[in-house]
Amino acid sequence: MSDDDILAMHLQELRRGTVVLACLQLLRTPGYGYGLLETLDARGFATDANTLYPLLRRLEKQGYLDSEWNTDEARPRKFYRTSAAGAALAASLTAEFRAIATAIASLTPEN
Amino acid sequence: MTNLTERYIYAATRSVPEKSRGDLSTELEASIGDAIDARVDSGEPRIEAERAVLNDLGDPDKLAAGYTDRPTFLIGPRYYFEWWRLLKLLLWIVPVCAAFGIALGQVLSGAPAGAIIGSTVAGVLGVVVHLAFWVTLVFAILERSAGRSAGDSAPPEPWATWSVDRLPEIRPKGMGFGDMVASLVFLAVAAVAIVWDRFFGFVWTGEERMPVLNPDLWPWWIAGLFVIMIGEAAMAIAIYRTGRWTPGFAVLNAVLALAVAVPAIWLLVNNQLLNPAFFTTVIPADSAAEVYSVVSVLTGFGIAIIAGWDIIDGILKTFRPARTPVCQS
Repeated sequence: MSDDDILAMHLQELRRGTVVLACLQLLRTPGYGYGLLETLDARGFATDANTLYPLLRRLEKQGYLDSEWNTDEARPRKFYRTSAAGAALAASLTAEFRAIATAIASLTPEN
Repeated sequence: MTNLTERYIYAATRSVPEKSRGDLSTELEASIGDAIDARVDSGEPRIEAERAVLNDLGDPDKLAAGYTDRPTFLIGPRYYFEWWRLLKLLLWIVPVCAAFGIALGQVLSGAPAGAIIGSTVAGVLGVVVHLAFWVTLVFAILERSAGRSAGDSAPPEPWATWSVDRLPEIRPKGMGFGDMVASLVFLAVAAVAIVWDRFFGFVWTGEERMPVLNPDLWPWWIAGLFVIMIGEAAMAIAIYRTGRWTPGFAVLNAVLALAVAVPAIWLLVNNQLLNPAFFTTVIPADSAAEVYSVVSVLTGFGIAIIAGWDIIDGILKTFRPARTPVCQS
């Protein structure tokens, strides 16, 4: 395993939970699979499609996302929206993320 | 929807439960379509855009595993150590028993030595393969069935939760794994020797082979001996599992030793232990009775000394001060 691979693995470990939080926050306004993928990418949460799509369905199954089919356009799309439980989860995760960020900052020597 | 996309969606959704398959197919189709459109809008030909999108999505089986929340491993971290401990334990015990059983059966049916070794080796290999396969299969099924709910990381089964009660004992010398295996192997060799003696005979008289032990001991006396030997084997395993000799083991050890020695000496005194034909055949008739009595006395003392040493050894091991071998080497 090369140094680059090891770095990539550690970065992935660090980012793993943040995609969930980003989805919950972004989906306060309803969104669909590919559109959310683009938004995440634009906002600096580069995510693979084959990670995001199963994640959305899992969060829906756990009750953190609600879904609705939109058939107004030629291509029917499944729209997800953060539920009340999802919003609560997002708040908890945000608080935890801030706590971790503060803790990390206190470890970093001042320049 | 073209053929490639259709095939991809089929592959990614065929293992998903029926009730959510339609929903998932439609959603996946839309997501793939959106991604292709985005690439086409930026000037890529549609055919190549489709290939690129599907290649990016990757192995459809992996995607399907993500959708169904299925484990993509045979035995995961939740059961790995339970599986490994059980497999190791069984692999130490079962093949030894199987080897003994197969060898015994072969000897009883009068097979030649080569055939006995051959079928024992083949049989043990078969047992090892079966053991590993079935144990692993059971754990793989367990991994996929018991209490799997999303976000549930703690093992719900009581036997899967580890506590300090399950810490292994620090083993003083003489109670380790090698001692247990040595006891079991010794018992197995002794059992095979007894059976061998009966059916082939240990003594070569010049004309034929002859058993040393009285053939009239079969089947009941020898069966009794085998029961005691199984008891010895069980005790060796129990001592290993406990990690030390306890007074209970010392008493049991003494009882087992006496259970062999007392009947053996009684039989010897009554001229029933050794094969009478052996002496009359091997030794000239005029001195046979004398030699027989000398051999009997020596055998009797031998049995008594071995039993006495065995009993004392058990007591010494029980009350020997516990040492911590960790720091010594």
